[in-house]
Amino acid sequence: MNHSWDFATIFQNWPVLWVGLKGTLFIFLVTVVLGLAGGLVVGVCRYAKSQALKWPAMAFVEVFRNTPVLVQIIWFYYAFPILTGIEVNPFLAAVLGISLNTMAFSAEIYRAGIQSVEPGQWEAGKAIGMTYNQTLRRIILPVAIKRVLPALTNRGIEVFKMSTLASVVAYVETLNQAKLIADLNFNPIEAYTAVAVIFFVVLYPVVQGTYVLERILRKSD
Amino acid sequence: MVEWDFLAVFADFDLLMTGLLNTLKVTGLALLFGVPLGLAFALMRLSTNRPLSMIAAFIIEFFRTTPPLVQLFWFFFALPILIDVRMTPFIAAVVTFSIQSSAFFAEIFRGGIQSIDKGQWEGAKAIGMSYSQSMKRIILPQAVKRMIPAFMERSIELLKTTTLVSTVAYADLMFQANDLAQKTFRPLEVYTVVAVMYFVLIFVFSQLSIAVERRLARSGESTVH
Repeated sequence: MNHSWDFATIFQNWPVLWVGLKGTLFIFLVTVVLGLAGGLVVGVCRYAKSQALKWPAMAFVEVFRNTPVLVQIIWFYYAFPILTGIEVNPFLAAVLGISLNTMAFSAEIYRAGIQSVEPGQWEAGKAIGMTYNQTLRRIILPVAIKRVLPALTNRGIEVFKMSTLASVVAYVETLNQAKLIADLNFNPIEAYTAVAVIFFVVLYPVVQGTYVLERILRKSD
Repeated sequence: MVEWDFLAVFADFDLLMTGLLNTLKVTGLALLFGVPLGLAFALMRLSTNRPLSMIAAFIIEFFRTTPPLVQLFWFFFALPILIDVRMTPFIAAVVTFSIQSSAFFAEIFRGGIQSIDKGQWEGAKAIGMSYSQSMKRIILPQAVKRMIPAFMERSIELLKTTTLVSTVAYADLMFQANDLAQKTFRPLEVYTVVAVMYFVLIFVFSQLSIAVERRLARSGESTVH
């Protein structure tokens, strides 16, 4: 071990890394909002009695859960434009891949939450004259979402880590910028260590937060 | 309308099959090293020795909270500078995914071990077993059975994550797909075929794990997630 660590070049290139961090944060926000909101819709469809809603939702979930997210991103980047004629930039490809993948995973979380609500709640909703949609929206979903909150937070953490995959199609995010710094300054060791530390520092408190959240929810249930 | 032409893809299908085999090879090796390592980390984390337990907790949390792609780049580009070894994409991939999945397996082991009723420990102690004897003979056999569904789910995640090795030019299915797409100028067909291949592979494993989980549930075992 005779490598002398030199983080000075990293700090000198801080603006480069900062651009990447902003890119990571931006794509994370877009994909996590689209993924978790879209997942709710798919999850509700997956639970619906109507076969026309249930089957497409099920097929969607199975396809996106059973293929690697990198394959999805690459497919949207290289194959999707040929199929549809729509121009796809790195950002759009990564957003499509990551948010559709997240939709599929969170749909299953929402569905499990809905299924965990006692049938009595449905009956009570019906008894006081609520329609299916009203019962779902006013009674079932608030309970269900509260129960699956820890699972959704975990999904959010996964999405944050997944955002690094956008670098594969050259979207400007943290890892992509670190690669740039490493190539220019010949300091891959410091550059990639810095990225690992950044992710750890951001996510570790969030992970600890989910443990606390889980405990609070368990107590209040 | 797009003209689909799969001929070019199937003419070079052996290229994709090689990639598929390499994907399975990396996944298999990562499991082979990752599972025992995960058990070791779990035992360290559960140990009453405080420094040992803290070191294990740090390693586990670090590898769970950093993106696997960053870890892969670190092992491939940074580690060789630090310890002067010759790093191939294959070694980097196996090392990264063994350690990365061991961190997740450690938590599964820990959940499984902690789910075992305290009375089992006391029972083992009452008939004179030491800590390691009780762990080996009484606790682990029961814990492992409960862990199987979580373990299978994690292995499927691992299989999907191995696509990242294509970024350091290891010839897995994803890498071969990139190669073939460039050679044939048929990215639509190549990436669609590869997506279907991954789907079939992972879907089969998923169904298998659901079947195992049902069977375990029937035999009266609760499962740990």
